[in-house]
Amino acid sequence: MDNLIMALGWAGLYGPMALGAIGSMIGCSLAGQAAAGALLETETGHGRYIGISAMPSSQSIYGIVVMFALNRDVTPENAAGLAGIGLLCGLALMFSAIYQGRSCASAINVSKIRPEIFGMSLAPAAIVEGFAVFAFIFALVISAGVPA
Amino acid sequence: MADYYTLVTSLPWLPEQMEKCTQLPLSRIALNRRLTLLSAIDQRQLEVAENLYHPALNDIQPDRERVQLWSKQLQELSSLTLQEIIIQRLEVQTVIAALRYRQRSNTSAEHFVGFGRWTEWIRHHWKEPCFALEKQIAPLEHWCELFNHQLTGELQHQLDRYAWQSLLATERNHHFTIETVISFVLRWGIAERRLKSDSDTALTDFQHLSDTLINSSGIQQQLNRLFEDMNR
Repeated sequence: MDNLIMALGWAGLYGPMALGAIGSMIGCSLAGQAAAGALLETETGHGRYIGISAMPSSQSIYGIVVMFALNRDVTPENAAGLAGIGLLCGLALMFSAIYQGRSCASAINVSKIRPEIFGMSLAPAAIVEGFAVFAFIFALVISAGVPA
Repeated sequence: MADYYTLVTSLPWLPEQMEKCTQLPLSRIALNRRLTLLSAIDQRQLEVAENLYHPALNDIQPDRERVQLWSKQLQELSSLTLQEIIIQRLEVQTVIAALRYRQRSNTSAEHFVGFGRWTEWIRHHWKEPCFALEKQIAPLEHWCELFNHQLTGELQHQLDRYAWQSLLATERNHHFTIETVISFVLRWGIAERRLKSDSDTALTDFQHLSDTLINSSGIQQQLNRLFEDMNR
């Protein structure tokens, strides 16, 4: 039983980083595919399409920071806390990156047709980013209560 | 089912209102080149959908066989949404075909063959002005009016607009999927047909079609057989 708890503790420690990175991979890929298509159809503004497609990479950075905040010796006393915070924060980052990627793809698709709504079309992606920031900040806050 | 992020964003924009589409944004060759991003299965689905939605003019199969073929081809479409789009189109065509068939002399409801859930209903309501389908198809009353006044050009325009709006709604309800791609290509097909329409070409095509039909009629075939028998 102790081994399982220890394994979960380690998973919680590395979870934000790994799950955040998985989400960023999928999100950047979806937005990147959309950007690649838009390059075919447009004459200008290529840089911003590629720029948007990198938006879901921030979740990986948040994951790294949370991982460092949680980084401590894993013991049976703190393993459950690490698992709870790390895995849940990782899942939140992963899903936010995937759905942000989809929002970015839609933003690219509509701003290709009407470039003047480029800024407004990014609002959904920015809102999704906001939720990722919530998950990140409160993971940092709560991590202070996990015994060292 | 695969998502087509690259393909959907690489497709050009077609206006929301069909009338505003005054020129095609890219050639069919360029469109086909982009459509190579579809998987082999989805390319087949697109082919079937296009054949059903925009049938070739030289198709002179008897109605019963054609309806059977349509039913068979529809089974090849795995997407229920795509099936619904095509069925709606074929059912509208059935209603218009019924109007045309009824106008001819020496025709009866029993001999009418159509596609879809309304065929039997049409036979039962053969004498009604719009086959009592006004509630099921909102613009039908207007279409019947145009048909009765022999405004066939305007009727075709209204039918195209109806199809255009229906396809546009499907495109908006599906993002980056095969339904989005196929709805776009079908809308592109309507635009292409409208922009290439030419009265002289239409007359030539009609003449060619009627000649083919006359030559392939049962009487002609029987006469040919008789001549062949006499020559032996």
